[in-house]
Amino acid sequence: MSVTGAPPTQPPAPAPAPTNTVTLTIDGQAVTVPKGTNVLEAARTLGIDISAFCYHPGLPIVAQCRQCLVAVEKNPKLQPSCQQVCGDNMVVHTTDKQSTLARKQQLEFTLVNHPIDCPICDKAGECTLQKLYFEHDNADSRVDTPKVHKNKVVDLGPTIVLDQERCILCSRCIRTCDVVAGQHQLDFAHRGDHEILTTAPGEELDNPYSLNTVDVCPVGALTAKDFRFTMRAWELEATPSVCNGCATGCNVEIHHKNGRAWRLVPRHNPDVNDYWMCDEGRFTYHDLREERLAAATVDGLPAGWDRAIRAAADRLAVGRTAGQFAVVFSALHTNEDNFALAKLAQAWGVSHFYVAGKPPVPARADGRLRVADINPNMGGVKAIAEALGITIKPVYELEGSIRGLLALGDILPGVDPAKLKELEYVAITAHERGPVVHANVALPTAAWAEASGTITNNKGHVQRMHAAFGPPGQAIAGWEVIVRLAQATTVKLAWTHVREVFKDMTAAVPAWNKLTWAREARPLSLRFAGSRG
Amino acid sequence: MADSQTLKQLVLGRKDVQDLSDTEHDLPPDLMTVNMGPSHPAMHGTVRIVLTVDGERVVKSDVHPGYLHRCFEKESEYATYTQIFPYTDRLNYVSPMINNCGWAMVTEKLMGLTSLIPKRAEYIRVIVSEMSRITDHLTCVGASAMELGAFGPFLFFLKAREWLYELLEKVSGARLTHTYVRVGGVSKDLPDNFAADLTHTLDETVKVMVEVEQMLNGNKIFRDRMAGIGAMTREEAIASGCVGPIARACGVDYDVRKDYPYSVYPEVEFDVPLGTTGDCLDRYLVRIEELKQSISILRQCLKQIPDGRIMVDDPRCSLPPKKDTYNTIESMIRHFKHIVDGIKIPAGEAYAFVEGGNGELGFFVVADGTGRPYKAYCRSPSFVHLSTAGQLIQDHLIADIVPIFGMINMIGGECDK
Repeated sequence: MSVTGAPPTQPPAPAPAPTNTVTLTIDGQAVTVPKGTNVLEAARTLGIDISAFCYHPGLPIVAQCRQCLVAVEKNPKLQPSCQQVCGDNMVVHTTDKQSTLARKQQLEFTLVNHPIDCPICDKAGECTLQKLYFEHDNADSRVDTPKVHKNKVVDLGPTIVLDQERCILCSRCIRTCDVVAGQHQLDFAHRGDHEILTTAPGEELDNPYSLNTVDVCPVGALTAKDFRFTMRAWELEATPSVCNGCATGCNVEIHHKNGRAWRLVPRHNPDVNDYWMCDEGRFTYHDLREERLAAATVDGLPAGWDRAIRAAADRLAVGRTAGQFAVVFSALHTNEDNFALAKLAQAWGVSHFYVAGKPPVPARADGRLRVADINPNMGGVKAIAEALGITIKPVYELEGSIRGLLALGDILPGVDPAKLKELEYVAITAHERGPVVHANVALPTAAWAEASGTITNNKGHVQRMHAAFGPPGQAIAGWEVIVRLAQATTVKLAWTHVREVFKDMTAAVPAWNKLTWAREARPLSLRFAGSRG
Repeated sequence: MADSQTLKQLVLGRKDVQDLSDTEHDLPPDLMTVNMGPSHPAMHGTVRIVLTVDGERVVKSDVHPGYLHRCFEKESEYATYTQIFPYTDRLNYVSPMINNCGWAMVTEKLMGLTSLIPKRAEYIRVIVSEMSRITDHLTCVGASAMELGAFGPFLFFLKAREWLYELLEKVSGARLTHTYVRVGGVSKDLPDNFAADLTHTLDETVKVMVEVEQMLNGNKIFRDRMAGIGAMTREEAIASGCVGPIARACGVDYDVRKDYPYSVYPEVEFDVPLGTTGDCLDRYLVRIEELKQSISILRQCLKQIPDGRIMVDDPRCSLPPKKDTYNTIESMIRHFKHIVDGIKIPAGEAYAFVEGGNGELGFFVVADGTGRPYKAYCRSPSFVHLSTAGQLIQDHLIADIVPIFGMINMIGGECDK
């Protein structure tokens, strides 16, 4: 994992070697943690959530917000628990009079110049400041002087707008740019209650990981131009999924409401993306609503499922029997879709196999999260093909003798459209664009956010995606389309649920033998998830 | 080819009278299955009974509740504690204030606020609860009399009920779905001149009750239809979990207000009327007496109600004043968190119960520390009472179902939840 170099703090690992641990007491409970763990993380393992603004487990520690002060026995002053490393036999109190008062006073101080913006603030409902005030202070205002006003709309770059009044100067965003993108693009200026966050001299906030600063911002100071003023955070539901933007496969949450995705936010996975993801990946959700194929088409006209499936089976029959028939896998579709297609093709006795994927973008590769391969599942297609003894070639090597083509996905890079028009071409696709417009029969499938399935990233992690909402119109999951096609050609593929496809697939691919299918994740209502900050 | 008689039978489904043989002229000995409800003018609430009758006599009955099921308990898991008040309005919709109080009490119990509610708020709660009890009993008695053919009492009682509804509307802003009580107190203070209005209304209501009692108590038809009908013994009432006026008509001396006193009920004097025979007439008489007791409680409360806050002063559950909400960030955040995330109730479980119009109305809540219940359960008296309906109407005539059901006072919203 090269995102952050060495992570600044290691989350406590389970069952560490005895010599490398320390045991301390927090609020009367003994806890054993690895050496070097800070008190805040040690407390979290006990379920004690010490309030903090500037501390983030994925960022360097600066102990700047003073919100996490705790009393450590034999220590005359309160200590910032984020910076205080656990020592053997240390005795820590988080609920004593002194630290409780310190928390309250710190919150009161933080709120002195905070604008009364909750009703118009995009962070409202998932705001750490709101959460901590409500849980730790909840006292009335004692300030009778006017608030210090600052600039409310500062355009920091192509993706982000800053409200300097809301900023509580925690520096999480500055450190995020430093650590995640490796670029120092943000900084503080001025002093005291005139201190502001601003761009570093000569810089603009334009790094490819800039939107992580919006996630880590504990208040609504940094807002994404893509999301601001579109949807209230507490009305959204979160479904865990995996970004389909490139081969890294960053773990994400799809935040959605009423069958529509509103944003993607990264989900912690220390093996893949830590706490982060790139901006380009965040915007991939827009594609879920663009150029969608909502009904099957036959010769460019809408058709019902029965007629479309029958038409597809009939049109493909000629080429299939004559051995002039090819199947194209898609590096943009799930393992299950590709496996189902492979099984169908084998049952049909197909001998020509290709794979369609987007051409690599070498400029993307930065040694961090972004890689050149922008196909989410090339690894999965290759693993399945290898396991089933199928030789696949890139689709631009399509042979001239081919008369019939069954292709997954909406890209066939390097294939001449004029050639496609001569073929009997059946597309199984979520989008109606590119080569799909030339398809004799187009069968609509769910896009990545709409059906359960797995994809395999460039490190071989098989990662599960959960369906956040249903597909549009008549679209169904890709593997289901293939099952219907199989039934129309009297091939027996008896899967009724994607987990059955998964089960057969993992049995067939040796490296995946031990994988298990987890229960469907229910969408988490952000309203009742508390402000997760 | 069929002869004309067979053909007639095929077409009509029966023989013509002139074609019947001598034995066939007698009434058929078979039992008949009749469907009563779910929308029947003489059914008290939306409930269906599949009756097996032998002539007019009920041999077997199968009561089907559930037509007004609104998933109260499940819906509650997806709403904040405050947002559940409107749902409770729709439980026993003839006495919503009492339901409001019950829900407020269970949340306050979980927060440890029970003894901290300001006196004035408690008095207001008792006042609106007793007003609701009066509307409940007026409706029950009036409607039952009407179903037995006495239309006058129904109109008289509904007239009195409307006076009370109008007063409750002045208090809460809504005639029926009040949503007036809040966690920690009540949403707003009593309107100006409330005491005088209520005193006047009670005086007028007493007059109406005198008239109705004159019309019903000595009425031979009414008494014949009620006395000895649907009787239940004390043991049966206890065994089946009956509470409220139905249990008290059987001589069960149980009233939550007396036995588990809550709010300021210990500070007012009232009697708990008990019946002896446990039949419909006793249930009627108990309700009439409870009306009088409620009126007495209301008069005492108006005398005793103190001035003061109507909401507990606890930032965990009381909203900040609007002026502060708009002008300070602290109050703005607190307001926001109360409304959007909900009042945070500490993890735990609690059962709180009140004397509803139909008896012990209880709420059981499992809280997980978030702004919404992990599990909410409602012990609705109507549901328990309805479970006895099948036995009560056994061996009675079809016509007796009407007074029995009227006096069970099954309220669909509460029974079906």
